[in-house]
Amino acid sequence: MTPALGKSLLRLFTVQGSYDYERMQGIGVGVAEEPLLRDLRAVANGGGGGAAYRAAVARGAHFFNAHPYLCGLAVGAAARAEHEGVPPEQVERLRAALCGPLGSLGDRLVWAGWLPLMSALALVGVALGTRWWAIIGFLALYNAGHVTLRWWALRAGWTYGIGVAAALHQPVLQRAAALSGPAMALAVGAALPLAAQYLSGAFTGWSRGALAVVAAGGFALLWWRRGKLTGVRFGLGLLAVAALAGGLWR
Amino acid sequence: MSLETQLLLLAWGTLVGLDLVSVPQAMIARPIVAGPVAGAILGDLGTGLALGVLFELFQYDVLPVGATRYPEYGPATVAAVSAAHVAASGGGGALGIGLGALVGLVTGMAGGTSMHLVRRLNARATHAASERLEAGDTRVLVRLHVAGILRDTARAALVTALGLALAQLVRALVAGALTLRAVTLLDVAAVGGGIAAGAAGTLRVVGRGPNLRWFAAGVVGGAAVAWLR
Repeated sequence: MTPALGKSLLRLFTVQGSYDYERMQGIGVGVAEEPLLRDLRAVANGGGGGAAYRAAVARGAHFFNAHPYLCGLAVGAAARAEHEGVPPEQVERLRAALCGPLGSLGDRLVWAGWLPLMSALALVGVALGTRWWAIIGFLALYNAGHVTLRWWALRAGWTYGIGVAAALHQPVLQRAAALSGPAMALAVGAALPLAAQYLSGAFTGWSRGALAVVAAGGFALLWWRRGKLTGVRFGLGLLAVAALAGGLWR
Repeated sequence: MSLETQLLLLAWGTLVGLDLVSVPQAMIARPIVAGPVAGAILGDLGTGLALGVLFELFQYDVLPVGATRYPEYGPATVAAVSAAHVAASGGGGALGIGLGALVGLVTGMAGGTSMHLVRRLNARATHAASERLEAGDTRVLVRLHVAGILRDTARAALVTALGLALAQLVRALVAGALTLRAVTLLDVAAVGGGIAAGAAGTLRVVGRGPNLRWFAAGVVGGAAVAWLR
């Protein structure tokens, strides 16, 4: 790993630090790309003593929005393209074209796959009494995948440059994306009854029956009103009803 | 609860809040991590694990795609553990999970709103510096980024402080005034709500395609293990 790639990778861990509704991750992506652009400052590289560098830095900070773990792909690819003297409009088009695929792949692979899969395994572990081991295992395994993905993305972008689309069609990535959905569904499915048993351990008598009714009724309501009723609002509403019932039923 | 413990919880909640979006997204913000560590700080790992599991179920209702707005359950879990712990020691009985959930869900909503506000502040700062950004001024770029991270740090600290204050309020006003039956009802609502939110949220992600069969197989397997234990 070159020092510039190392710096860029470290900065990518903060890529959403300045997230806003105007440029989304743009500022963070620009900050992460900057170490890879420093060579452009040299006149020998045709940078005109800094003009090319400044123009590339400005482009790097334009609007960008994708999955944070995969932003490195765009950072590396755009920086490589700047080094190769690709016209500015083409660099902008490359960045714009990467937003959708990187967002969709990352959401499928990480937010709807790897993360809930690892979280479900942690829930199973806690429910089965492994306590800290489940938490440590979750952090270690999840972050092994997380850091690998960030590093792979940056390296692939830097390697492929303007032809970075080829990296997204790598068989390993496609296979991981295809497997993460079923694995997540299986693991979370298994975790739900075990977590329910773990949490209901302290309930006895009528409260067990009430819990079953509330969980089943709540699930039906949330499913019926999906897109309109969120878990947090439902939970707060339920707690308000319970507090009222508790006050009346003395 | 001593001031040192409160400060430790505040520091942990701030780190957890910062991790969710800004730095480094290592998922210490997940309730299953935030809860047990908060429990360990309080010397009450059992409560930390229970609230961690409960809020992890609520977390399944959230898919943080794009610029969507969602509750922030990391600092919320820290506050919830604190509330459940103080409720138990303040006369709420051993089952403080309902009061913890109440504090946690309110804090979670406040956390979600605060993230939206910080993003708007970031946008304003970016807009104000747009000319110098377009000129490729690296110093301005880095300054904007660092300021964003600092804003998020302050936001996470404020949200955690709000949650911890709510936990204290629960101890002072609510915990001792509730009957055992009322406490049990709150616990039932919290746990039932968590299970329902977790199941419905997961099913939304799983959809009606082939993954549904895997989900059903998992439920059957998990239920069998639960039955056999």
